[in-house]
Amino acid sequence: MSEAAIQLQQVTKEFKGKKAVDNLSFTVERGTVVALLGPNGAGKTTTISMILGLLHPTTGTVKLLGGAPQDRQVRDRIGAMLQDVSVIEGLTVAETINLFRSYYSQPLPLEQLLQISGLDNERNKMASAMSGGQRRRLGFALAAAGDPEVLFLDEPTVGMDVTSRQLFWDTVRAMAGKGRTIVLTTHYLEEADQVADRIIVINDGKLAADGTPSQIKATTTGRTISFTAGNAVTTESLRNISGIVDIEWNGRRVKLYSNDTDQLIAELVRAELEMKDIEIMSGGLEEAFRSLVSTAKV
Amino acid sequence: MNASTSTNVNTSRSVRATVRKAAFAQIKAELLRTLRNRRFVMFSVIMPIAFYFIFTSTMDADSEVGGVNWSAYYLMSMTSYGVAGAGITSLSQKLAKERTQGWTQLLRITPLPSWAFIVSKVASQALINLCTVVLMFVVAAFAKGVDLSAAVWIESGLWIWLGSFAFMALGSLVGTIRNTDVVQVVSMIVYMGMSVLGGLWMPVETMSDTMRNIAHLMPTYWLGHGAWNMLGGGAFDWSGVLVLAVYVVAFTLISSFIIRKQEAV
Repeated sequence: MSEAAIQLQQVTKEFKGKKAVDNLSFTVERGTVVALLGPNGAGKTTTISMILGLLHPTTGTVKLLGGAPQDRQVRDRIGAMLQDVSVIEGLTVAETINLFRSYYSQPLPLEQLLQISGLDNERNKMASAMSGGQRRRLGFALAAAGDPEVLFLDEPTVGMDVTSRQLFWDTVRAMAGKGRTIVLTTHYLEEADQVADRIIVINDGKLAADGTPSQIKATTTGRTISFTAGNAVTTESLRNISGIVDIEWNGRRVKLYSNDTDQLIAELVRAELEMKDIEIMSGGLEEAFRSLVSTAKV
Repeated sequence: MNASTSTNVNTSRSVRATVRKAAFAQIKAELLRTLRNRRFVMFSVIMPIAFYFIFTSTMDADSEVGGVNWSAYYLMSMTSYGVAGAGITSLSQKLAKERTQGWTQLLRITPLPSWAFIVSKVASQALINLCTVVLMFVVAAFAKGVDLSAAVWIESGLWIWLGSFAFMALGSLVGTIRNTDVVQVVSMIVYMGMSVLGGLWMPVETMSDTMRNIAHLMPTYWLGHGAWNMLGGGAFDWSGVLVLAVYVVAFTLISSFIIRKQEAV
């Protein structure tokens, strides 16, 4: 059997006594597209940094392609687009890409890299003179330079406009089709839903959920009850009712997030709250994610 | 690895063979970057040449310093000044920028070993320093008629070139400062301060005793001194070798200690 692309075993990372990642374990099989999803500060980037060997776990083990992330043989087979946009001064786009190509034993051709990053017209432009979105695309070309088996994309589409974003995901999907393992972090849920075969939800450094996008949506019912509330109804009075995960007000219209709306509606009726125009809805991924993250906090 | 995986990945990726290719590409890229850097060309090439012409023209061409012809003496001063500046200012700023902008971090996840990165940075700067030395000597020989024996040309040139490594080490130390603006200011102060105090602008022979004692603490003085000494036919400057070697070791140790501390996470 071929080794897993990524293996985390009971990984914990502490920064000055505070746990950024807390006893995290998961395995990513080869050829999958995995999205690490979570709110800001959930520990996604810390997790990626440990998988890449940029950070050492406080306890636990990380294996990348069956070996240590620091191993040069392993590094030859991975590529990463980090969150911090980075270029060096004094080199053109093509020169920068060629420099990176020289680091790897089996680089992709320059023309192909320029094409998949959409930088054909910028090839002779100084890298430092490019816009933020162009820099991110250069970052992608550098990540792909070594024809990686595992490609890491940390918040890749931040700063990209809608068209570049679409083009970007088309390219990523094409790479995934060739059996590449792709690990991405994002807080755009739709992106994760569209691109990934698997979503790992991380919150407060812990694993909150793990499954296919449809499983995530199904297991966490993520339903909502909305109604127009009477004046007596306040956030405080709703707090006394069990089963409410989150409350959202929009004028007098209130939306309650719950994992069990059947139970909740009974509770609401029993509490004799003043409610009009009641709606019960099953949520999209957005609602699912929200209820996951909120329950994990309790 | 399993042959049945659908990836088109070749199992025989040879990382070792790529290191040499990577190091050469890195050197080539560093050379290009340095030559395209206007600040570098201005401070390390044009300024020393300009100063050389100004100070050899305003003074009597036949005047001597410590028994050595002034235009030859000042050529050694300005060549030293140029290579010292290349190390202190351009190398430090390059390193600091790459570190703060995340470039160094990005390189850490590539198969390029960190020693290859450092070696190619130093090698490319050394190559450029060699060109600077040759350029200065050629300009002085043709435009100012500086006349030295072949042995003295070669020995003094090699001396300054080898001595320039101490200033690359100093540049790497200044480059550990996290703020690039501060690096720019600090490197200019260190560079100009050391050049003036070390007697590269005005000969130590014209200094007061106190200033001369200060000069003897400066690596710039020892860089110039070895070359000035050769012009006068003096014995090989072993104490200069020792002082510069101590500086190389000290600066390198301190800067690598700081970098290790900053990266220890």
